[in-house]
Amino acid sequence: MRTYKIVIVENDEDEQFFMKDGFEKAGRLFEIVAQVRNGDMLFEWLEQQNDSLPHVVLSDLNMPGMNGYDVITGMQNDPRYAKIPVIITSTSSTPTIIDKCLGLGAADYLVKPETWLEYTPFVQKLHRIIEDKKLVD
Amino acid sequence: MVADTQMILDNLTEAVIVLNRDGGITYINNAMSRISGYDISDLLNKSLSILYRNQQDMIKSQYELQVAARTGNFVSEGWKTRKDGSRFWGEMNISSIKDASEAIEGYCCTLRDTSAQKEEELQLRQSEERYRIMVEGVKDYSIFMMDAQGYVCTWNDGARLMKGYSAHEIIGKHFSVFYTTEDLDKKKAEVELNIAIRDGRYEEDGWRVRKNGTVFWANVILTPLYNEQNVLIGFSKVTRDLTEKRLHEEALRQSEERYRLLVEQVTDYGIFMLDEKGRIISWNEGAKRIKGYTEAEIVGKYFSIFYPEEDILTGKPKHELKVAREVGKYEEEGWRLKKDGSKFWANVVITAVHSADGTLVGYSKVTRDLSERKNSEKALRESYERYRMLTEELKVTNSELSYANQELEQFTSIVSHDLQEPVRTIKSFLKLMEMKLSAGEYEQLHTYIDKSTNAANRMKELIQNLLHYSQLSKGSLKEQEVNVNDLINDALQNLRASVEVSNANIELDCEIEKVYGDKVQLTQLFQNLISNAIKFTDTENPRVRITAQQDNDQVRFGITDNGIGIAEKDLNKVFDIFRRLNTEKAFPGTGIGLAICKKIVERHRGKIWPQSEKGKGTTFYFTLQQ
Repeated sequence: MRTYKIVIVENDEDEQFFMKDGFEKAGRLFEIVAQVRNGDMLFEWLEQQNDSLPHVVLSDLNMPGMNGYDVITGMQNDPRYAKIPVIITSTSSTPTIIDKCLGLGAADYLVKPETWLEYTPFVQKLHRIIEDKKLVD
Repeated sequence: MVADTQMILDNLTEAVIVLNRDGGITYINNAMSRISGYDISDLLNKSLSILYRNQQDMIKSQYELQVAARTGNFVSEGWKTRKDGSRFWGEMNISSIKDASEAIEGYCCTLRDTSAQKEEELQLRQSEERYRIMVEGVKDYSIFMMDAQGYVCTWNDGARLMKGYSAHEIIGKHFSVFYTTEDLDKKKAEVELNIAIRDGRYEEDGWRVRKNGTVFWANVILTPLYNEQNVLIGFSKVTRDLTEKRLHEEALRQSEERYRLLVEQVTDYGIFMLDEKGRIISWNEGAKRIKGYTEAEIVGKYFSIFYPEEDILTGKPKHELKVAREVGKYEEEGWRLKKDGSKFWANVVITAVHSADGTLVGYSKVTRDLSERKNSEKALRESYERYRMLTEELKVTNSELSYANQELEQFTSIVSHDLQEPVRTIKSFLKLMEMKLSAGEYEQLHTYIDKSTNAANRMKELIQNLLHYSQLSKGSLKEQEVNVNDLINDALQNLRASVEVSNANIELDCEIEKVYGDKVQLTQLFQNLISNAIKFTDTENPRVRITAQQDNDQVRFGITDNGIGIAEKDLNKVFDIFRRLNTEKAFPGTGIGLAICKKIVERHRGKIWPQSEKGKGTTFYFTLQQ
């Protein structure tokens, strides 16, 4: 089972905390290389990476500053990062929003679990998607 | 006194020739020389046959003499030849001269030149012959003569064809055979003759009877004929078979009837006739419907009655007739009057009507009421106009809907995220608490409860803001003249706390005294903007400058701060509902303040826009009415 390097973009502190908890409890599916609060901070961090870029970016939609949509377009437009799949996660399951994300270029869209305590299945599902869709070379 | 015989003989106009017993000429008088051209020397001992063409015709002259000898005289008429070869018509009378014993002594012959009379006679005969042939030959008319009692004397081809009798069948019969029994009972035939005598002629159209018993309708003219002594010698009767004519007339009448019915019943067109002076002589259903007059009311009136007064004064009706006469027809569209005085737009054609010989008999006029057409045209135009207006309205509604849609989408987004987020937080912490409680770990519980409460408060604030924002669109603005200074002072009053805490410096640079709008909302507008100006300053003490200038018929306000500024890429995002460019921690706020400002400005028919550079402060401009 391959371990993917993942950056989590999420503005809510508590959410971040429990996400991290969930990822760790899921085993060695992912290695969280960074947790940033919004799109601006993501791109700042990416700038500094040079060689070791993450495999996947998991991003919330609703963030102050550059939000999820900005993350998608920002990643797509930069040739350095265009290949890195961006998966959006949000509480919303509204079709229009999902379509919008996918339309903009998100690799996939996952609805967040009901509470922060149920992240493990979420992480497993995320891994499965990446594998099935061969999002990472 | 005994006249000199010789003298008598010489003075006679008749020619006298004396013949001897053998028929030889012994004596001629002067008249004979004159008539015949011969002298006595020419004729002495010659026979009378010298006067004939065949001068050697002894047989004839012998015969004549024999008759004269036997009966006493011989009379003849015939051509005689003169000495010069010319001819004359002569009446000859040969008498024998007998002695006492009845023996022939000789002959005496008188000769008269009756050429002239003969000529007349011939001419007359010829002319009569011609007339007779002519009359006989006429086939269309029955022409015959009757004697004074009414018996048929002559018969022509026409009579034969018309009545069926041939000449020999009818001549000598009484002309009453041509009459019906009814007429005979009334003694019509006799009555007609008497009237003809009395009046000089009798004419009638009546029934007559053919040989085969069938009756026919005839035109009959009886004319009495008198000789030179004014004695009635008979009648001429000329008969014309009118049956064909009658059929013709009947056909014509029927066709006219049909035509009249046709015209009368047309309801869409007024079709009627005018006499040559322009008076109305006929009327149809359409004319009645269009113009309102009944036939009784309008016949006899001048057609100028249909024209508006100004047209009559300029002589328009007359002019139209004139053109129709000269050109054949007059056509136009124009105003005409109905019986009730109302005008209608008509299409009119006036055609001059001539009889067969070319004289002007009158005019026909065809009128069409175009009001309906005009009305439909007008209705069509109006409907196009309405359609066009509706399209415009639709466009406006469409763009309004579009805008409303956008807002709805935003709303959806808000509900999706921003309201779900605190709920999730609370749920998560509750679950966590439950887990900890079960595990007997009580340390973090207070933290979890606090966080939950915060989340709940966040949600409440969110909901309130949302409601407030949505209310801004509805309801009526209480617009009035508002004092600008009052507005700003009220806003600053509400922000007193944060102004003090941040030690903010407020600068006013207002040229304008009054604006027009809702006091409450405008106060909030200033409040939000000033609050932002203060809030988003981190390095120094906030300095807020408020300006107001006249800008054509509006007022342009500016609220400038020395705060963190807005990056160019974010400039168009600042007004999005709940859109925060910075994290909650750094700069608290729900992100709805500017959305509210925009809503208020737009409701007041103004505009709002930011001017900023990251790190170099921000100015928000907005316009209001006066």
